[in-house]
Amino acid sequence: MAEAGFEGSTKSGLGRALVAIYAVFALSATARSGVQLATQASEAPLAYTLSAVAGLVYIAATLGLAEVGPAPRRLAWAAVGFELVGVLTVGTLTVLDPELFPDATVWSAYGQGYGYLPLVLPFLGLAWLVRTRPTG
Amino acid sequence: MIEPLQTILIVASLLLAVAAGVYVALDRSPDNALVGLAGLLELGFVVQAVIGIGQVVGDDDVASPVTFIGYLVAALIVLPVGVLWSLAERSRGATAVLIVAALTTAFLVVRVVQLHG
Repeated sequence: MAEAGFEGSTKSGLGRALVAIYAVFALSATARSGVQLATQASEAPLAYTLSAVAGLVYIAATLGLAEVGPAPRRLAWAAVGFELVGVLTVGTLTVLDPELFPDATVWSAYGQGYGYLPLVLPFLGLAWLVRTRPTG
Repeated sequence: MIEPLQTILIVASLLLAVAAGVYVALDRSPDNALVGLAGLLELGFVVQAVIGIGQVVGDDDVASPVTFIGYLVAALIVLPVGVLWSLAERSRGATAVLIVAALTTAFLVVRVVQLHG
């Protein structure tokens, strides 16, 4: 079997597992915020909206890394970059002021509720995008 | 929710994750045995979904029914999608997709148990 990192492809080798992890986060964050917004939006509108945004970012990253759409690499860079900024910003804000969001989001306290995977994931994504960057 | 089924589903999910991990370590492609294990596990999730949705429709005490059904349905689709995504390519990374899928189903069953408790 070929080793990870086919030149230029983000969905091959290790990328396949990475896409799978992103897909799980896309599904869970989107579904969870959908339920929250539909049933109890008034309780913590900011937190739930933020969860929905995170869900969309994960969907975009999944599609980009899976090479769906016209400019998947650009989509993946934008989504994973946004994800990194998001988890660092929301993580820092929630650590400094835990009262900021009445209910937790996927990025609260750097993704503590999800085993810090939300913090690790964007670094993996960026590293993978760099590693598979087309030469020439 | 019936406890023994959920215990079996969690153990079997973790078993599948470990088995897939061994395949990745040995650099072996998924064979019929591994895919068969995933298929067997999927049968268990069908049973769980049928029983679980039956309990929600009945008068069983479920904390948040919408989320509960969401987890039941998610547990149904994770393995088939994961297997398809994994088998479409022959590489270590593709085999590792089965680890991700199996750990996800184990987590989903834990959430189902928590919501029902």
